[in-house]
Amino acid sequence: MTDPALVGVDAVILAPALLPALAAVLVLVGDAGILLAGAAALALLHDAGGGPRDTTVTTALLLAAATGGAGVAASRDLGAWLVTLELATVPLVALVALRGSRTAAHGALTLLVTSVTSFALLVLGSALWLTATGDAAFAADTVSAAWGDPERRTVLVLAVTVLLCGLGFKLSLVPFHAWTPQAYSTADIGTAAALATMSKVSAAAALLVVASALTGTGPDAGRVSVVVGIVAAASMLLGNVMALRQDDATRLLAWSTVAQAGWVLLPVAALSTSGLRASAAYVLVYALATMVAFAAVARVGTGPLARFRGLLRRDRLTGGALALALLVLAGLPPGVIGLVAKVVALGPAVDAGLWPLVVVAVVAVVLGVAVYLRWFALLLGEPAEHAPAEGGGGGSRAVLMLGTALLVLLSALPALLLDLLS
Amino acid sequence: MNPWPVVLLPALASLAGLLLGRERRLSRAVAVAAAALTLLLTLIAWAVQGEEPVRGAGPSIKTGELSVPLDVVSDPSRAAVAFIVALVALAVQVYTVWYLVDDDRYPVFAATVSLFTSAMLLVVHSGDLVLTVIGWEVMGWCSFLLIGHWSRRHSARRAAHKAFLVTRLADIGFLLGVIGLAAGARTTSLEHVVAFWARPAACIDGGVASGTPLDDVLTQCNAPDDTLRALFLTLVVIGVLGKSAQLPFQDWLADAMEGPTPASALIHAATMVAAGTVVLAAVFPLLAESPGARWVLGLSVSLTMVLAAALAFAQSDLKRLLAWSTVSQVGVMLSALAAAPIEAGPDAGLFHLWSHAVFKALLFLALGWAAVIAGGTAAYALRGSAAAAPLLRVSLLFGLLSLAGVPLVVGGLSKEHVVAVAWEGAVHDGPGLVVLVALLTTAALTGAYCTRAYLLLTAHVRPQRSSPRLPPAVQGVLSGLVLLSVLGGLVLLTDAFAVGEFSLTWVVITTLAVLVGVLVALRGGFDRDPAEVLVPRFIPLADRGLGADAAYRRVVADPVLALARFVSFLDTEVVDAYVRGTAVATRVAGRAGARAHRGERPGSAVGLVLAALVLLGLAGVLAWS
Repeated sequence: MTDPALVGVDAVILAPALLPALAAVLVLVGDAGILLAGAAALALLHDAGGGPRDTTVTTALLLAAATGGAGVAASRDLGAWLVTLELATVPLVALVALRGSRTAAHGALTLLVTSVTSFALLVLGSALWLTATGDAAFAADTVSAAWGDPERRTVLVLAVTVLLCGLGFKLSLVPFHAWTPQAYSTADIGTAAALATMSKVSAAAALLVVASALTGTGPDAGRVSVVVGIVAAASMLLGNVMALRQDDATRLLAWSTVAQAGWVLLPVAALSTSGLRASAAYVLVYALATMVAFAAVARVGTGPLARFRGLLRRDRLTGGALALALLVLAGLPPGVIGLVAKVVALGPAVDAGLWPLVVVAVVAVVLGVAVYLRWFALLLGEPAEHAPAEGGGGGSRAVLMLGTALLVLLSALPALLLDLLS
Repeated sequence: MNPWPVVLLPALASLAGLLLGRERRLSRAVAVAAAALTLLLTLIAWAVQGEEPVRGAGPSIKTGELSVPLDVVSDPSRAAVAFIVALVALAVQVYTVWYLVDDDRYPVFAATVSLFTSAMLLVVHSGDLVLTVIGWEVMGWCSFLLIGHWSRRHSARRAAHKAFLVTRLADIGFLLGVIGLAAGARTTSLEHVVAFWARPAACIDGGVASGTPLDDVLTQCNAPDDTLRALFLTLVVIGVLGKSAQLPFQDWLADAMEGPTPASALIHAATMVAAGTVVLAAVFPLLAESPGARWVLGLSVSLTMVLAAALAFAQSDLKRLLAWSTVSQVGVMLSALAAAPIEAGPDAGLFHLWSHAVFKALLFLALGWAAVIAGGTAAYALRGSAAAAPLLRVSLLFGLLSLAGVPLVVGGLSKEHVVAVAWEGAVHDGPGLVVLVALLTTAALTGAYCTRAYLLLTAHVRPQRSSPRLPPAVQGVLSGLVLLSVLGGLVLLTDAFAVGEFSLTWVVITTLAVLVGVLVALRGGFDRDPAEVLVPRFIPLADRGLGADAAYRRVVADPVLALARFVSFLDTEVVDAYVRGTAVATRVAGRAGARAHRGERPGSAVGLVLAALVLLGLAGVLAWS
């Protein structure tokens, strides 16, 4: 992935000298995550096959979305932020629509409507932000100045709320999640994987850009936590409860995305630098595990969970990789990195004294264990008599092996990821 | 001599016996040879034992602030007690070979007896509270196995469980007391524990004499807390009362007669019930300084010895008569420890343990023989069975004479010493007077029930049954025990037991008490059962142990079971309700969520968004103002 366009975007928007060290690290790690996720999604799309024209178009769209994601992580002014965020989203709508079937068109339409609504909200939020701070950039000093004035502060809070709603679409936060299961199940597996990983990391990066401007607002800033916390709690609970009812692998992953988005937002509610780091770590671990899960689904084929019965005995590689990914998502050893990410995400919330949110998160952990172990137990069972044969080409195999290797490495040495972010 | 070999030899024999499994002849050889070798070792150890205690170093453990040396120790009285334990163990092993000749589980029984012996020897020689507890608990376990040896019988299983549960319950007190003593002294070494908790009498007396206030003196002398010491010793005493079947734990021992007779002989004569006496003798300097613990012990054993002697008189089963006589006699041993002033020392109690071991082993083994002849242990079955063999008659005569405490035989001598220290104690303070009264009453009652047992066993009945031939080895064992019960008093010529003098007045008084008992028992003539003549209505009550079993159930078992049911109810109905509740709540929430997401249309999404926007905006702005 040495597309010159990407490097160019980085060079234009990112001015490393002007950024604080933390932001620079977050940008670099976030970009690396987005590009890796893009590459993996591309590999899955490539496996799905299609004519040469088809491949060219999907590749171009995916690269465009990756460009947008990489750009939004590094953007610091409202204009670049808005444009790159849209660039990260709209090509994926086209990707969903490209399937051509009626249901895919329906899903694409839902996605398009929500993304347009989301864009409208983001623009509105940016306008309010500009009004409140008088600055067309996400800068901590102007935010602090606006915070000092009660009237401007109210506008700023409204701006944050509206921006959060706009980002809620991209991150699939409750109550902006409704498109997620439908889009995942109608899109082909590579696109769904891109939506679940690359798009989420991009959205999280955009969120962190806003949140990092808010971290210096002072003691009263805890009140922003109320807005953020409600959304995070609702996402964690509803996502897990609904995932518990799903029988289709892709839909289960979609609802799991909703629940995990709540976990990404949880440390942000603390509005501290450690919270931002924890959020970045969480979204990267989530994206990695989800990508492995999607790669496994790509090999077994979408459909009811019963297809995965006894997978661990039929196909050691796919079954083992999926089992590890599910354990990481549930936060159970030996998927240590999942557990570490959850503990790290809870830390800032505990430090900030957000006890109701922490209690909800603990409940969500228990529910999440049930969600993923339900699937995990099927992997261990006896394979059915007429088990479907596993397909999938080299791309999904490479994604599986690389992703599993990374998960194992991080589970053995969680400090690698945490040190990288601190 | 280092006491470790004495302790370890029977343990190794037990292990070997278990490993040999069903090899009957080999396990028999191992068990008997090991018992004989142990006896030889204890005899040598006793012979070479000087005045000074000999210490056998153990695998010392240092855990934090607590040092656990695990030493064993031997002194003249311990060596003498160890000898008698080994002697009874050998007698039991030899006797078992004959008694359980048809039993398919003989090897297990013999191995358990060896382990039991080893545990008792460990308690006798223990110089460390941890070793005492180990021996104590192993004995509890072995007694469970031995009493329940005929486990196909329901009554044997029940008796084993009862013995185990009752002694375990009392062991709670024992363990707490031992832990408290060790924690205070920061060591489990018996010597240091006694030194730590002992009252520095000389220092305190000197300080008070010089006119310093008492509190300052106590601080200066670094005196231990009297209340704590009394508390811990009382807890230890509770454990001892359980193991020794004293009130209120008395009822398990009579039921334990369900075990084979050799097991009863072992449990009653030299191990288990006597272990409490050994342990309390080891901490006697502390006990003598703790009036609270002395009173608890003194009152319990005084009541027990009288009550048990009365119950023994009215038993319709002669084996149970012997069981109750054990309860009574152990009370006599412990009363010496409760009543003796600190200068008198614990050796009067230990001497009574020694002599009791001799005559009780003799009585049990002889009665077992008689029961084999008569085909049962009930009084009517055993009538006249002593006539079967002269040796049996002699054994029973001397055993009962000793038990009754007739002067000059070993039981009489040791009882006089107990009475002597009780008198000394009565002159000082503590429960001496109560104990003295109880001792005299018990002497009379014991005379009565010994007379009754002898009358029953030697009654004239016409049809003489042919007696099974006893092997010479068993005959030798019985003869040896008879000899020892006559001449055992000579042990006082050695310096094994440091007992004082006893006055002739008290000999006369106790002999008169015994005589009164004998004469009362003889009121109905020589051919009738004195119990049926004197207290016919009391017999069924005595057979039920005054209903103690039912009382245990009502007072302890039922409330505990009710509590357990209540806790189980709390667990399944209240605590689990929350757990089940989460599952139900999740399912309901999932169904509601699925209904809300049924229509996946773009319009519904937009509607949701707008509603959420309003809600969040309100929440944020309200939180602000």
